[in-house]
Amino acid sequence: MTIKVYSTQACPYCHMVKDFLRKNDVEFEDIDVSTNHEAAHEMIEKSGQMGVPVTDINGKIIIGYDIQALKEALKIK
Amino acid sequence: MYDVIIIGAGPAGLSAGIYTSRRSMKTLIISKGFSEQVVSAPKVYNYPGHVEIKGFELIQKMEEQARNSGAEIILEEVEEIGKKGKNFIVKSFQNEYECKTIILAFGKTPRNLDVLGEKELTGKGVFYCVTCDGPLFKDKIVAVIGGGNSALAATSYMSEIAKKVYLIHRRDEFRGFESVVEEIKKCKNVEFILNTVVVEFKGDKFLKSLTLENVNNKEKKELQVDGCFIEIGSEVKTDFIRGLVKRDKNNYIIINNKCETSHPGIFAAGDVTNTPFKQIVVAAGEGAKAGLNAYNYLHGIESTIIVDWKKGK
Repeated sequence: MTIKVYSTQACPYCHMVKDFLRKNDVEFEDIDVSTNHEAAHEMIEKSGQMGVPVTDINGKIIIGYDIQALKEALKIK
Repeated sequence: MYDVIIIGAGPAGLSAGIYTSRRSMKTLIISKGFSEQVVSAPKVYNYPGHVEIKGFELIQKMEEQARNSGAEIILEEVEEIGKKGKNFIVKSFQNEYECKTIILAFGKTPRNLDVLGEKELTGKGVFYCVTCDGPLFKDKIVAVIGGGNSALAATSYMSEIAKKVYLIHRRDEFRGFESVVEEIKKCKNVEFILNTVVVEFKGDKFLKSLTLENVNNKEKKELQVDGCFIEIGSEVKTDFIRGLVKRDKNNYIIINNKCETSHPGIFAAGDVTNTPFKQIVVAAGEGAKAGLNAYNYLHGIESTIIVDWKKGK
């Protein structure tokens, strides 16, 4: 499973998504879109919007800190 | 069927959920999100037990504590509360839930401009969290809308990231600190557009321009921007329960010192109520009161002024 989290450093909701993944022992790639412009474009293309965080779980795109959606996509109870 | 449904997941709602769950009440917390106001606070210095803590960390801990106590948390937006005999039906945009008691704890909502294109372009150039989404606009042209301290802070923050920042405000003076205004005036890439309101956000897939209107001569003009941050404060949005509970002239829900509203079985706590002092610790305390009193209501116990910690609960 490939998981990418598109985020910015000061964004609290991004930290909350990453903390949630860490707590559930889910490995992910943390991408800072404020410094990585290519990734920023990628995120905008994938999600159709520009807000962070965006989580890509095997192609399933989750916008924001949405625990239910994250749990469903990761099949965590 | 839930014993209690708590609407809102900020300090008041989560604290209420901790108390109701620990009293073995089947508890559901429904909220659009986790308290934006606390989450976006960089540091909190006045919550007892934490000398210094980031706002989002405090909310995470409260969330974890509520879940560990047994509360269920669902992220949905409530649109309506109805009655079914003695019980209540809480309708979100997706589902319906039945419960015996309700605790209203949904705080204040960031204010929208409520103009054309705003909803459609939210997240697509129109934003409400500058620390989250601002860094994406490096060397771009952005606008900040508002005249208070949060708008000034957003302008100052964006001036270090963006190529150009327009600060658009409907009056000719600011409500925020004068020293901050003076500081911003020194920034070469900040331009003030005063006595002006935004009447439309334009763009197809993403925001392209703002239609501005001068409040004095009603003249309109287009302003090309890549992003726009709305920082016009927050409001209490209680219209959807106007027929159910009494509100004061500012739309705050009126409660007594037991967190009871005008409707039996419906309690309220935190920033959404007419309680003075919009503080995290006050909201958490009021949430606890609302939770305990919902328990008493459910079991037909009259709330009295006695110690209630003797049983070790």
